[in-house]
Amino acid sequence: MTNHYIDLRNADCIMIIGSNAAENHPIAFKWITAAKERGAKLINVDPRFTRTSSKADLYVRIRSGTDIAFIGGMIRYVLEDMRKHPQDYNIEYLTQYTNAAYIIDEKVKLPGDEGQNGLFSGWTGTSYDSSSWKYASPISASAKLLSPYWSGWEKREDPFPEVAWGDLEERCVLRLLWEHYRRYDTETVSRITGVPVDELEAVYAEYAKTGARGKAGTICYAMGTTQHTYGTQNIRAYAILQLLLANMGVAGGGINALRGTSNVQGSTDMCLLSHILPGYLKVPNDSDGDQTFAGYLARTTPANISPPDGLEGTDPANWWQHTPKYAASLLKAWWPEVDVNDSYHYLPKVKAGKSYAHIGLFEAMDEGKIEGLWVWGQNPAVGGPNSNGERQALGNLKWLVSVDIWLNETAEFWKRPGTTPADIDTEVIVLPAACSYEKEGSISNSGRWAQWRYKAVDAPGGAKPDLEIMSLIMARLKELYAAEKDSKFPDPIVNLDWPYGEHPDPDEVAREINGYALVDFTTAKGREYKKGELIDSFVDLQADGRTASGNWLYCNQYNTWNEDRDGDFPEAKVEYTKLGNSFTAINKLKKRGTVDRSLNGIGLYSDWSWCWPLNRRIIYNRASVDLEGKPWDSEHPVISWDGGWSGDVPDGGWKPIKVALDDGEPARLPFIMKPEGVARIWGYGLKDGPLPEVYEPWESPVVDADGNRVNLMSATVNNPAAFIGDLKNDRGTAARFPYVGTTYRCTEHWQTGIMTRNLPWLNELMPNMYVEIGEDLADNLNIKAGDKVIVSSARGEIEAIAVVTKRFRKVVVNGRSVHHIGVPWHWGYSGLSKGDSGNILTPHVGDANTTIPEYKTFLCNVRRA
Amino acid sequence: MPKGVLVDTTKCIGCRACQVACKQWNGLPAEETVNRGTYENPPHLSGKTFTKVRFTEIEDNGRLQWVFTKIQCMHCVDPACVAACLVGALQKRDDGPVIYDKGRCIGCRYCMMACPFGIPTFEWWDRWPWIRKCTLCVNRWPGTDQEPACVAACPTGALKFGDREALIEEARERIAAHPGKYVNHIYGEKEVGGTSWLYLSAVPFTELGFPNLGEEAVTVNPARAMSAVPPALVAVAALMSGIYWLNKRRQRMSTARAGDHQAKEEVTK
Repeated sequence: MTNHYIDLRNADCIMIIGSNAAENHPIAFKWITAAKERGAKLINVDPRFTRTSSKADLYVRIRSGTDIAFIGGMIRYVLEDMRKHPQDYNIEYLTQYTNAAYIIDEKVKLPGDEGQNGLFSGWTGTSYDSSSWKYASPISASAKLLSPYWSGWEKREDPFPEVAWGDLEERCVLRLLWEHYRRYDTETVSRITGVPVDELEAVYAEYAKTGARGKAGTICYAMGTTQHTYGTQNIRAYAILQLLLANMGVAGGGINALRGTSNVQGSTDMCLLSHILPGYLKVPNDSDGDQTFAGYLARTTPANISPPDGLEGTDPANWWQHTPKYAASLLKAWWPEVDVNDSYHYLPKVKAGKSYAHIGLFEAMDEGKIEGLWVWGQNPAVGGPNSNGERQALGNLKWLVSVDIWLNETAEFWKRPGTTPADIDTEVIVLPAACSYEKEGSISNSGRWAQWRYKAVDAPGGAKPDLEIMSLIMARLKELYAAEKDSKFPDPIVNLDWPYGEHPDPDEVAREINGYALVDFTTAKGREYKKGELIDSFVDLQADGRTASGNWLYCNQYNTWNEDRDGDFPEAKVEYTKLGNSFTAINKLKKRGTVDRSLNGIGLYSDWSWCWPLNRRIIYNRASVDLEGKPWDSEHPVISWDGGWSGDVPDGGWKPIKVALDDGEPARLPFIMKPEGVARIWGYGLKDGPLPEVYEPWESPVVDADGNRVNLMSATVNNPAAFIGDLKNDRGTAARFPYVGTTYRCTEHWQTGIMTRNLPWLNELMPNMYVEIGEDLADNLNIKAGDKVIVSSARGEIEAIAVVTKRFRKVVVNGRSVHHIGVPWHWGYSGLSKGDSGNILTPHVGDANTTIPEYKTFLCNVRRA
Repeated sequence: MPKGVLVDTTKCIGCRACQVACKQWNGLPAEETVNRGTYENPPHLSGKTFTKVRFTEIEDNGRLQWVFTKIQCMHCVDPACVAACLVGALQKRDDGPVIYDKGRCIGCRYCMMACPFGIPTFEWWDRWPWIRKCTLCVNRWPGTDQEPACVAACPTGALKFGDREALIEEARERIAAHPGKYVNHIYGEKEVGGTSWLYLSAVPFTELGFPNLGEEAVTVNPARAMSAVPPALVAVAALMSGIYWLNKRRQRMSTARAGDHQAKEEVTK
């Protein structure tokens, strides 16, 4: 989340799209309820009418997988409304804080341009060359957009002329945006999404109201957005909309990913994913440049992109310029005794173009390229897409280790229904783990709050905390590598700093993550560190090996104890010894201050735990103020300048742009993580285009009269850059599988169900695998509520109980009725409550950028069992 | 001051944390259920289930509403079950709850017949059955800052515990503050003389399965109330024929039950 859960209460309008917050984040709904009490409108966009929809002021039934059409139509609506009612929008934010005015390279072409057939410029046949998506060189901006004609918008009573956006300089971002999304008129959007035109106009008008100065709209999304072959572009569409409406950085605004599990934010921060290192540092690859640490840093450290003439701000903060400090400190955290230029070679180098994500991993397993697998707190035999394929791939392993609090389907894959255990040679080792109440540690929630939690009870039997399991294994590995004279490449293991022992102290690990001084040194600003002392903030990390930090984003979670400042939090006091010196510090994750000191009481609660970065509760908050540092929204100020900043920790402490200019100092632009310092309406970092464009899901019900798959927007049907797997991945047709299947979770069960299907109280609430079918379709198929039905896709079939409901209903897509079938994926063949997994139906295809599987849209059929 | 709970169904998201919290606090076992084509389960209140959430799909002028309604003992101001109890096993406390003393119960189940909401249930499966129902968690809150377990578990504030009079005042204010949001009716304010549980809704209560009862307390004219419940006659017969057996049971009870049913003791004290 750019903001945080409590901040949802500050919104004037909340659009929940691709999320079922009421069912999957019921506690978060407390704050959505609070916003509604204040009069905020709740919009819910979903193919299914859910418990979230039941609380919405406006519910929009959309065909699954058509977010880009829906939001693209809204972008068009906003641009048109902005022209007619410029005083209702924050054009200063748009022109000064985003790249709206920037001019793009002259070779750029849009999918709607003649001859492009739905592709952006740069398509090579297998991937995009993004060079034509970059800024024109030399960098320049639209003089017209930055002229007094536009900047006088506040006083304008009359609309801009019809041609306003088309009248801007060619290849100016705002003009490209208009040229691209003018194709997304409501009639076309309606034909694609199945939402009637009048409903589209009503919801567009409602959300566009948040574009006014002082108003805030927030978008809450979850896996309904991400789990598509264009999931990243779905989110980009939301981001563009939020920038047009000046909703980023403000209280009650932002793009808020409601994460799918309680610590998924923390695990992402710590590099659970294959394409990043801790703190979102890029992973080294096998390119020539990455063969040295210096070359890797040269590739991954962005150079400043100075703003073009016409923007008031003069300098980007380009925070990633500090990459060398963070990368070196990470290497030093793992291998403090080794020179960083050497320890860099301990890191694995990924092959360019190869997927190491979930789908890629199982494809490789299927090809017999993977010998052993650790499955830690995960259950891919139920949670992975195309279960029949993935369960089969597990059988190619020599060994499999399952670490879980229960015996799960992955550990029992060798005796799943329909198999002969004797035919499977995989050796399965199960390590019982302690559950969250049986161990101490920290957890980072969706709002980036890292909170300490304590052990309540001992784990039963031989179950151990994950950290202890990890530590025992690592200690043994180090022994084995050290003992074996001719072991292959022992250095990364043997040299690894692993001081934790048999019963690791989570606080000690957290201190390593924060970072500490490896030698006595003094910073340029005069802060004297003693060897072993924790580092105050990532600003003090060093590129030359004097500091270690396991994750720069978490540097600042500790500070040296200061009785005046920290005395109210004695439970957070930590005494420690490192490298021979003793210190006293505060572990801010343990803070539980309940006083809200934020401006106007907007609910930052900055003394409750700590959040990255630097306890900044709303990121990009320098965009919440005007060029003089005054909040756009005086009722909900995040930060405010009055000779100094007050409120939240500002996103960079520099003076506001106009104040800096008056003082003759560099005027820093607000979006500090970008090398250009402004937010990207036009982006060039993704693999599948600089703007989101409509493509169909891999399996789509939209076909022409001959049954051929079609895209109503262009001649390119699917995202050309999507990841398409091979593992038993048959593709269904709309003729054989006429209905759209979509998978999801319910309140009563959790993920693959292994934590909840063993709890009788929860099984009582949701006892069986079920599917949801609309009354209209059930009537046609003679299916009654409670009947057993078979749902099939090209990849397999499942049995389930039919929940027949008014909440599912056909949508009319391009003149044809499309029905959705709702398929939860909580069940499997292990545990107390057994049933088929919905993922037996889902395809082995993934998003172009992240490879997240397309769980949310596939073709299926249904019949009575 | 009599206590009560205000249920604002417009804030309920149907998560059923209340349903599970009730089982947890009261030590109630799970029921074996099957999906009957709806999210709602178990099908009925029982000796193992003191509260449940009803899921109702309502289509009104093309607008679909999915309403979640928690049901449990209403803890009437003037309870019919108390009036119907021959032996005083059910009693109304001054601070709100209708409580049950199993030591006095003869198992006649008159209370079940008398209740206008059909709430008290019998442990049919047990060799030594009791009447079971919501206790308003009277073993949690008197003299503490605790709330009933269901209220404490509610994430959205759909359930609010407090003084009944103050809750009625708040309910009136909510109706006034949001014109058009609620039907202008606080269910339980006046029904059968008033109940401790009070409800606000955006749709007419009859559509949510609430009985349309008069404002007169059942105890004002018990004969009329009972005549509305034909099985009562059957119950009288059952009572007569079973009285010998029940007396025997009461003798055994004090020795046999004290130790092995401690959880129930706590709940029903």
